[in-house]
Amino acid sequence: MGSCGKDGGCPSDYIAVAISLLCFILLLIKATLPFLVHKVPRPKGSGFWIPVIQVFASLNLLLSIVMSINFLKFKKKHWWQSCYLWAVWVEGPLGFGLLLSCRIVQAFQLYYIFVKRRLPPIRSYFFLPTILLPWIAGAALLHKKKRLNERCHLVTRWIIPVVFLHTTYVAALVGFTVAIRHIEFRFHELKDLWRGILVSTTSVGLWVTAYILNEIHDDIAWLQVTSRFLLLIMASILVLAFFSMSSSQPLLSKMSLRKREATEFETMGRALGIPDSGLLLQQEPAPDIDPNEPLDKLLLNKRFRQSFMAFADSCLAGESVHFYDEVHELAKIPVNDPVRRIYMARHIIEKYVMAGATMEVNISHRNRQEILATPDLAHPDLFHNALNELLQLMKMVGSE
Amino acid sequence: MLSIVTERMGSICSRHKHYREADAEENAQAAEIERRIEQETKAEKHIQKLLLLGAGESGKSTIFKQIKLLFQTGFDEAERKSYISVVHANVYQTIKVLYDGSNELAQNTTDSSKYALSVENKDIGEKLSEIGGRLDYPRLTKELANEIETLWKDAAIQETYSRGNELQVPDCAHYFMDNLERLSDANYVPTKEDVLYARIRTTGVVEIQFSPVGENKKSGEVYRLFDVGGQRNERRKWIHLFEGVTAVIFCAAISEYDQTLFEDENKNRMMETKELFEWVLKQPCFQKTSFMLFLNKFDIFEKKVLKVPLNVCEWFKDYQPVSTGKQEIEHAYEFVKKKFEELYFQSTAPDCVDRVFKIYRTTALDQKLVKKTFKLVDETLRRRNLFEAGLL
Repeated sequence: MGSCGKDGGCPSDYIAVAISLLCFILLLIKATLPFLVHKVPRPKGSGFWIPVIQVFASLNLLLSIVMSINFLKFKKKHWWQSCYLWAVWVEGPLGFGLLLSCRIVQAFQLYYIFVKRRLPPIRSYFFLPTILLPWIAGAALLHKKKRLNERCHLVTRWIIPVVFLHTTYVAALVGFTVAIRHIEFRFHELKDLWRGILVSTTSVGLWVTAYILNEIHDDIAWLQVTSRFLLLIMASILVLAFFSMSSSQPLLSKMSLRKREATEFETMGRALGIPDSGLLLQQEPAPDIDPNEPLDKLLLNKRFRQSFMAFADSCLAGESVHFYDEVHELAKIPVNDPVRRIYMARHIIEKYVMAGATMEVNISHRNRQEILATPDLAHPDLFHNALNELLQLMKMVGSE
Repeated sequence: MLSIVTERMGSICSRHKHYREADAEENAQAAEIERRIEQETKAEKHIQKLLLLGAGESGKSTIFKQIKLLFQTGFDEAERKSYISVVHANVYQTIKVLYDGSNELAQNTTDSSKYALSVENKDIGEKLSEIGGRLDYPRLTKELANEIETLWKDAAIQETYSRGNELQVPDCAHYFMDNLERLSDANYVPTKEDVLYARIRTTGVVEIQFSPVGENKKSGEVYRLFDVGGQRNERRKWIHLFEGVTAVIFCAAISEYDQTLFEDENKNRMMETKELFEWVLKQPCFQKTSFMLFLNKFDIFEKKVLKVPLNVCEWFKDYQPVSTGKQEIEHAYEFVKKKFEELYFQSTAPDCVDRVFKIYRTTALDQKLVKKTFKLVDETLRRRNLFEAGLL
């Protein structure tokens, strides 16, 4: 045991590496299964990229620990075993920093949408690199000052700021989560977030202890072996727990592993439990339709709306009617239930309003900007102007 | 329209039907159906498919209306009456855009007094702006028309109108404002001109079938013309029409070099048209499709180009004015035409060099000009067909 404590390759080290490998494979399965098994459509934008970056960061974190603190015994020193590469760059900006930053971005999005009730003012592809900057700066500083000893450990004076940086980011994540704690999410986002945070703060606590012990007492062999064992195990659990936290993609996370339930949520309206949304039931009585009424009155009738929608779809002008239909569903959610309203509003914005959306509607720049810059996503008149504009268009489709 | 759709749906469905029963009667029926399908496909083969493409507000639907006027029955009184609400909506929307615009300019520009309305006109403006934001507009009465006219003649509104290129004012604004008296008549029936001027964004796809029978009744070609919406969200639907197209009529509004898009006010319309034309030219479906480029809205272009230099648009930034008046207009037009020509040859792969490309100077509102242009288009296409058949 004497020499393996120093050079790596103790039995406990191999066990730790095996467990971390297993954790990473589990994580990969968890991330890809909904797409492979249930053919869930790939989410667009940040909903897709943030989880991918998280997987990448998790791999980096685990790999950096394995590489930087002598888990494996190498016969010869290679240039790519450089301490600064693994212990500084891969562990920090590409590992732990990136992982936490992704989570903070998600918590920040949730915070803005549900607490502030507006769309996040800063796009995630811009926000993520910004909050990663301190990590990059820190890594560059460490690299420049050469503050690692020959065993890849920090000089004692530097441990405090490094640990401080790690804990600040955990604290920021906890802060955002606390800020959204009173929101009653529809799809257990908060429960998942809390569960994730509980597991991760505990493991971060143990991890930090192990880290400090490992860094300071690098002369006691048994402590080295135990602490690095703990370090890797905790990091593996952290990585796995982190990924289990839902990323506020309700339909996707709902549909993830239970196929039977997936069919129940064909529309967002149904997923949110809006009464009599979705398809027309056959036994419903058909109310009389007076074709001389204005279109906006006629559209209130579900039967008329369904057939008008089919007709508009056939002339490739259907998105306006679908938009009307979903805004109509939104109006059924009571004003005192802002959370459900926000879910629905966000769904409508992503599907119909954003430039380049799959069912983008033909509205003016001004009306689109007005919706995207709204100070209140739960506002009952959020889509009012856009809908008016589209009703004018629909009238013309109807009269052709 | 609906009947066309169902008819076509029917023919698609029946083609996929399987006849498993050996029943003689059914066999006969099947044979009959087969024969009719064959007949239909044969007839379809002779129909030339034309697409009207172009960015938003480039004049596609105006051309479409002209074709209806020229080669179909035109607009009867009932159809023209159905345009009353559209014309009135255009009036209300225009005055709202101008009034709201003047308010914005008064707030955001240094020279704000230019855009400040008088107190009584402000009240009228508020009222009309509210009406313009409604879903259903009231019928245009004499009183409302008078109020609109007063507001329109206000110096601040005129000042705002002169900066209309920043505001999404429809092209028909001036025409309708000049005719308020007539439009507000209780017995108002829109004229042919009013119908042509009326602005509605097209959404989805509209089609007509026609045959341009000339005076000597020689032309027997049957065309099916498709009109589409031009805004960005509408373009994803175009792809459904791209197969088997004889010719694309691409409309480019050459007067819009200083305006921004309706759907994205950060993008210059001419730049968008340039990119769009390039994209259409590179479509693999169009390797053998003829291209008819309509440099449209020449009427507005010739007035604008003397006031607003062509080089405000990034694409034309190397333009140098040479003279004044008519000569200058010609020079500017030739410059724009050359730019589009260059773009065509840059974006055409060597294996589709033998497709036809023609440029026409048009004003979609000018019926005689459109008629003449379409005659040329028809001739070109027939010549092309004969050539394809090896007869020429």
